[in-house]
Amino acid sequence: MTTAADDFLDLSDIQGIVVKAYSRFGFPVARYVLFRIDLPAHGRKFVVGITPMITTGVRWTDPASIPSAATNIAFTYKGLKHLDVLDASLHGFSDEFSMGMKARRDIVGDTGPNHPRHWDPVWHNESETGQHVHILVTIDGKGETEVEARYRQILALLVECPGVVQLSGQRGGGSDDLPYQPAAAIPPKPEEAGFPGGKEHFGYSDGISTTFFKGCGADPMEVIGEDKPVKGDPRTLEGWAPVAAGELIFGYPDEAFEYPEAPGPPLFSRNGTYLVYRKLHENTGSFESYLEAEGARFPGGKEALAAKFAGRWRNGAPLATFPTQESADRYIAELSALQLKVWAGQASPAEQARYQELALQLVALDYGDDKDGARCPFGAHTRRVNPRSALRFGNKKAFADDPGALSNRRRVLRRGLPYGRSETPARDDGDHGIVIMIVNADLSRQFEFVQQQWITFGNDFKLANDQDPLPGNHGTSKNCRAGGRMII
Amino acid sequence: MSNIAGKAYAMNVITPLKWLTTLRTRLIFWGAGKLPSTTLGLVTLSLIHYARWVILRPKDFPHLGPEQPKEDLQYCYMLFFSNFNGSWDQYVDSFSSTIPTGLDSFWYKNIKYTNSIPMLPFHRYITWNQIWTDNYYNAYPMASTNDVKSAQKVRQNLIDFARSTANATPDDFQRQYNKLLLSLQHDLSQMGLNPVVSLSASAVDRRLGKERRGVS
Ligand code: HEM
Repeated sequence: MTTAADDFLDLSDIQGIVVKAYSRFGFPVARYVLFRIDLPAHGRKFVVGITPMITTGVRWTDPASIPSAATNIAFTYKGLKHLDVLDASLHGFSDEFSMGMKARRDIVGDTGPNHPRHWDPVWHNESETGQHVHILVTIDGKGETEVEARYRQILALLVECPGVVQLSGQRGGGSDDLPYQPAAAIPPKPEEAGFPGGKEHFGYSDGISTTFFKGCGADPMEVIGEDKPVKGDPRTLEGWAPVAAGELIFGYPDEAFEYPEAPGPPLFSRNGTYLVYRKLHENTGSFESYLEAEGARFPGGKEALAAKFAGRWRNGAPLATFPTQESADRYIAELSALQLKVWAGQASPAEQARYQELALQLVALDYGDDKDGARCPFGAHTRRVNPRSALRFGNKKAFADDPGALSNRRRVLRRGLPYGRSETPARDDGDHGIVIMIVNADLSRQFEFVQQQWITFGNDFKLANDQDPLPGNHGTSKNCRAGGRMII
Repeated sequence: MSNIAGKAYAMNVITPLKWLTTLRTRLIFWGAGKLPSTTLGLVTLSLIHYARWVILRPKDFPHLGPEQPKEDLQYCYMLFFSNFNGSWDQYVDSFSSTIPTGLDSFWYKNIKYTNSIPMLPFHRYITWNQIWTDNYYNAYPMASTNDVKSAQKVRQNLIDFARSTANATPDDFQRQYNKLLLSLQHDLSQMGLNPVVSLSASAVDRRLGKERRGVS
């Protein structure tokens, strides 16, 4: 049984990174810092010291309440062990967490070029403890100066606790030994200047969709297209319902009316969750040259091909709603122009209304009228990772009361930013990609499932072993070209 | 011994139920057979090869000879047997998410049945009553049911195409070929190995592979 109290989230005890996509609050710069704990007492002292800096999920109701930088913290299993967390609690963690991602490589498809041996050096030099990365601290900020200031503040804590060591060995900027992972949003193109969200290195607008869950504190209108499809029209509030908070945070009921499995005592795990940290290099050179070559033969050209890969045009317009480049371009141009006016406070009431209408179209979509994948292919990235009600394959009567029955329990939150620069996208080497952080309450049912069954496999979409065209593991052949197949 | 062969997983679950309950359950089975819409959700789950429910009375259990001790069975039993693609969790969760009421009416008052939601007690119920597979053979280890269905469709369409274009002009051939491709676009994906759905199953595979190659 769930009660109204269960829908009320204790936002002051939940970390900000769980509830807020920071880039939406004007934080385009980040640093991800890793630490090892050599002395448990020092580890605990460090945690106590950093606690006042931790940003919570409490709503930022007016712009003045937004801090200049946000700090969040996460621990590996070994990290918690090195803090002397009791065995009884440690035993309550799932195998996926206690084993760590390297040991799960066969499950998540980290093989071939993605094998852990190719990861940044910081993940290599392991002592006999198996995992020597113990703590992740994320710093997001309004600018480089704000992030640097917070970074210094955190490092100052180490003076008092020499038993905590900052780990270098992150790759970037020509070095293999950076003391932290820098990341920064890539601004939209000038003609999309008002577009809400940044770019990633393949040129797609990213950070558009989020997952709306009970109690998350976002504007209730945002539930549209962001969550569980229900029976109504997907373009309206009647078409969507928020997902249960327990899918994403410990201590609240989930979609099966249960509290997610979490270590005891409740005070230890409640309001916590699992966070997956992945640094994904993007082969921008191969991607662009493939688009050029194949796009020349593809009706609609390379932009249409890129759109078929992602399920969105590179300018962000969803393919299911805007099937032609012309309609997509027109839509984004109008949306961006209105967005700029809204930001400047110069929009008339009519323009405001039009803006709301257009902004909604960015996310208010399901695949009901595209059941054959004629617009957005079954294998497109966004249709795979969040199929909404598409797994009914057009059979409207199947799971009629719960159209998203096969996808509602696979929802995750996406956090993170692009890293590096790709001024010469003609090359694969160099330092550019995305740091993606996935938040969920059940690693196996949510992240690992999506990563394995929906990204590196295709059976749920009746696509045999075809993989996701973007983050799928397409291996490399002798001439260093990736393999794989996608049918459009 | 493994429940997994290639892309397929074999699931046997045997659960006790009282004799009187079987009367109701038989009625439900009969009704579901007559009214296909009750199992529509199930049919849409493309990961399932088939699922079968059978009621066994105590006297249905084989007694192979006098040397086999006689069993004193108190209950009737429901045998659930299914082959599917994917992992145990994926399968069990797909069932409870898509046809929770159907499951609850099939298992209804079987002894200690927990209902299909919440999930954890249901998982425990299935695990407790699952019988492990001793021998399992798969003729097409790289194929899921979807793959087999697609292959059949491609084959039939190609045969028909070859027949209908035998005397076609090049232009007509091209036109029909394009049409064929369009109609088969959901059936031309690439088949390969099953992803590693369980680390213990993959450890067994590796061990067996080594044994076959004579490596210890
Ligand atoms: C280099 C790798 C990747 C690239 C280039 C990429 C790109 C994109 C793009 C362009 C979008 C559409 C924009 C948006 O809706 O915000 C998107 C959406 C999404 N991606 Fe990825 N992605 C990558 C990896 C992943 C991975 C590894 C996962 C999950 C394990 C993932 C999960 C999602 C989800 C859940 C959405 C939202 C879909 C929706 O709700 O419609 N992505 N991604």
